[in-house]
Amino acid sequence: MSVAPPRPDAALKAAGRAVFATDLELPGMLWGALVLAPVAHGRIRSVDLAGARALEGVVAVGHADLARLTGGLSGDAERPAFPRDAVTYRHQPVAAVAAPTLERARAAARAVTVAVDELEALASLESIFPDWPGSEAGRSPHVAAHVRARKGDVEAAFREAELVVRETYRTASVHQVALEPHACVADVRDDRWTVHTSTQSPFGVREDTASILGVPESSIVVDGTWVGGGFGGKGASLLEPYALLLSREARRPVRLALTYREEFLLGRTTLPSVVRLETAVRSGQISARRVRLLLDVGTSLPGRDFATGYSIGFLLGPYRTPAFEVEGYAVRTNKPPFGPHRAPFAPQCAFAVESHLEEVAHRLGVDPLAFKSDHLWREGDSTPFGQRVLPFGLGEALGRARETAARWTREAPPGHGVGVGVGFWSTGTGAGGEARLRLSPTDLTIVQGEREIGSGSVIVGLAAVAERRSGLPRERIRVAYEDTAHAPFDSGVFGSRTVGALGRAVDEALVTLLGRLAERVGGAGPPTLAVENDEIVVRVGSTERPIAELLTDAEREAGGLEAEGKHYGRGGTIDESLVLDGTFYAYTDFTGAAHVAEVAVDPETGTVRLVRYAAFHDVGTVVDAASARAQVEGGVAMGIGTALTEEAIWSDDARLENAGLVDYRIPTLGEVPPLEVTFVSGHAGAGPFGAKGLGEPPIIPVPAAIASAVRAAGGGHVTELPLTPERVARAVKPH
Amino acid sequence: MAPFALVTPATPEEAIARLREGPGEEVAVLAGGTDLLFDIEAQRTRPRTVLSLRRLPWRTLEWSGATLTVGSTLPLRSLENDPDVRLRLPGLYHAVRAVGSVALRHRATLGGNLGRAAPASDLVPMLLALDAEVDLVGPEGERTVSVDRFIEGSRKTARGPAELIRSVRFPEARPSAYLWQRVRPFHDISHLAVAVALSPTDGRWRVAIAGFPPRPVRLPPAEAELDAPYPTDASLARAAALLARNAPIVADRRASEEYRRQLVRPLFVRAVRAAVPSPRAP
Repeated sequence: MSVAPPRPDAALKAAGRAVFATDLELPGMLWGALVLAPVAHGRIRSVDLAGARALEGVVAVGHADLARLTGGLSGDAERPAFPRDAVTYRHQPVAAVAAPTLERARAAARAVTVAVDELEALASLESIFPDWPGSEAGRSPHVAAHVRARKGDVEAAFREAELVVRETYRTASVHQVALEPHACVADVRDDRWTVHTSTQSPFGVREDTASILGVPESSIVVDGTWVGGGFGGKGASLLEPYALLLSREARRPVRLALTYREEFLLGRTTLPSVVRLETAVRSGQISARRVRLLLDVGTSLPGRDFATGYSIGFLLGPYRTPAFEVEGYAVRTNKPPFGPHRAPFAPQCAFAVESHLEEVAHRLGVDPLAFKSDHLWREGDSTPFGQRVLPFGLGEALGRARETAARWTREAPPGHGVGVGVGFWSTGTGAGGEARLRLSPTDLTIVQGEREIGSGSVIVGLAAVAERRSGLPRERIRVAYEDTAHAPFDSGVFGSRTVGALGRAVDEALVTLLGRLAERVGGAGPPTLAVENDEIVVRVGSTERPIAELLTDAEREAGGLEAEGKHYGRGGTIDESLVLDGTFYAYTDFTGAAHVAEVAVDPETGTVRLVRYAAFHDVGTVVDAASARAQVEGGVAMGIGTALTEEAIWSDDARLENAGLVDYRIPTLGEVPPLEVTFVSGHAGAGPFGAKGLGEPPIIPVPAAIASAVRAAGGGHVTELPLTPERVARAVKPH
Repeated sequence: MAPFALVTPATPEEAIARLREGPGEEVAVLAGGTDLLFDIEAQRTRPRTVLSLRRLPWRTLEWSGATLTVGSTLPLRSLENDPDVRLRLPGLYHAVRAVGSVALRHRATLGGNLGRAAPASDLVPMLLALDAEVDLVGPEGERTVSVDRFIEGSRKTARGPAELIRSVRFPEARPSAYLWQRVRPFHDISHLAVAVALSPTDGRWRVAIAGFPPRPVRLPPAEAELDAPYPTDASLARAAALLARNAPIVADRRASEEYRRQLVRPLFVRAVRAAVPSPRAP
């Protein structure tokens, strides 16, 4: 039995010694609180800060203070720190206060008078487009973005089809539920705007904050703290502009942190969708697909079409489709702006397309998995959008999943069902990153700009890449973090890109460093590092030299030999001639997974119990086995929530009704079944050693696999997420 | 959380004396805090003083023949871990297990659950089916009321402003069962629950149903339909139909009325069969 070495942060976190943003206490620090809008939609008459400012030691800032700073502008038009004239979602921050105690800060927030003329709130897709897809959504003023593309003679294919299946799917709003709420400590002195913050992207926060506050990026220093989970929710700035404004006003450091209730109320997350899918079949093969998507994007402003233009491709699935028409509407409502939630909207898309193609296969009277396998992209195929599919292990993953599903089906007792779900993803290797290495006689330091967010991709993943390239044992490799004033640039820990993109920068720096050492040593063959008598040595062929002997005086002074690496990958390209409106996004590096779920369904109550689960992932190359497995375990657990229990409930007046963990139900350990994880290798991706991303893929197939298993167990064909007992009970066919 | 003064009296007399000082709406009684602290945090209640019962000598569990008396501040986890409770009041055991999580049950208490009178309490329906009685102590002395009288509505009880729940009494061991339905099996709020118990003394069934506002209720007409001790399928079906039709079920954001009514029959039938396994069963 092999035991994985403990993570470098394990002892620190287990002992409570890791300093998170809410642990940070600077001398003279004040406590911040936000003033939240009382209505979901309204015209602001006034925000009166006098009541707050009358309290001892309280500073308060609002739109006028921001406007003063930015020369009359309200910061970045897409993410105004404070609204000037209109409230567009309930609990939108309209002012911020700071005080010597948290209690007084909260009292000050209550003392701010907000006068708003309430307007009617747009709460749901159904209320905006009641007859959709019967009615055209195209010209509605509520559409923030519209995308449309087509290929081939879709009408003819539907006319000549042997079978046409039309279905509508609905998916719920889900929240990231990171254990640690958003928190930061701002400290503005002279012209240096420093913020210590829990973020997945220090450089992203710097850019956002600079544009919102109208301050040059070079004046802002973002210092990332440990992150207690991000899952996409900590990728952009949220609290930093308010905290910085308060600190500037108070001339003291200010801590601003959300309560867990506020974490829900201000959440930038996945919002509800309605998906209409139509499939035409001829000679047992898909001849055409029509996909239409209504996606709630909250108060995202016009032009914010990433969600629709990226997601809609997932609704075609990883399947050959000769003719198609896709159309997506990003619909504005009076909810907080749409934001990323681990593999943004892809699990919902996979649920819809996988369930739909299963329905198509059932109506054809063929085995759904054989039907899907027949249509699955193979290496070298083109996607419907004309993008070439590079090395892709999904076929192999699905093959393995089918074997497991067949065995489990044979073994399943009555009332149980086995299902399979498929998902594909794109590793974000297009987003750039840089790293700097320093090799001393005793250790190798990776200097970079990301804090560990929990997955291990930074402190374990980057070290694993360096170990694999150099041969130096892991305990001699240190991943060091620097703030944005000192670190080399990186895009952020998101998009399953850390090992794939930042890891490439580390690898490139290491290759450069090893090359320099080889020159100094002379000799032939690839250089490697090792430890001899507690000292690092370099070996080239049969020659071995201690690092200490190879350093110049200047290098010794600087702490070692340094080298830099950069990785700025290229995105993929699609056939733009297919695009009729809007922007569609190419995928960068294909990865995929097939999951098998066994469930027991109680047909009388609709209760679904997961019995066992198996996940097969194309990850290119596994760089650290324990972390890779942990990512799949975490992703599956999170996907179980999306599949079965998690649902943010919005009232008719756009009020979030379950802003807390009592009625917003994430899975407990009790619902996570025994899990088998298998990696399919040999389909190299763009990351170091052919690695592909694994942060997001594990959540994608989960709702699809569970819905398929529920159907197999007699729980009916449920077309709405999550599959709550009530929905399953309604879908159970009467006996 | 708004600041409050924490008072931890060492004797019941001290506690009652402090409660008498009042004013009632500004003093909150804490017996575990797993529900009260939520309300304080959300500012649904803003007590100036929180009176903690943790030092009172009421963390007791006592069997006297077939009668069980549970001190009001005994953590639910201790109740659940008593082997006799599991054996002699199996429905109570399962109802306690349905409350929150293990960690929460180390804090939560039976007195706290009763005193807070949450409409979706998992314990009150079982207490109703077991004919439990509440022993109150106050400035006027002691009195005992049935749980049915004690719970007056959602968050409303018969406890006087200076009274405290000292203990809860279960008059006899009963074959019993408690079944619930929720979105999430653990650490969730039941949106329908059924408690059943059979009294060996009078040979009659008790049936309580819960999970919807304003409070858990017993349904005597359905009870009367059930044969004892082993209800026939026909009597079970008649009782189930009565229950599903007549229970005062309403919708809220946790479940629709239709779904709740649909759940009554399966949960009820399973509960009765679990409480008294049929003699024909293998």
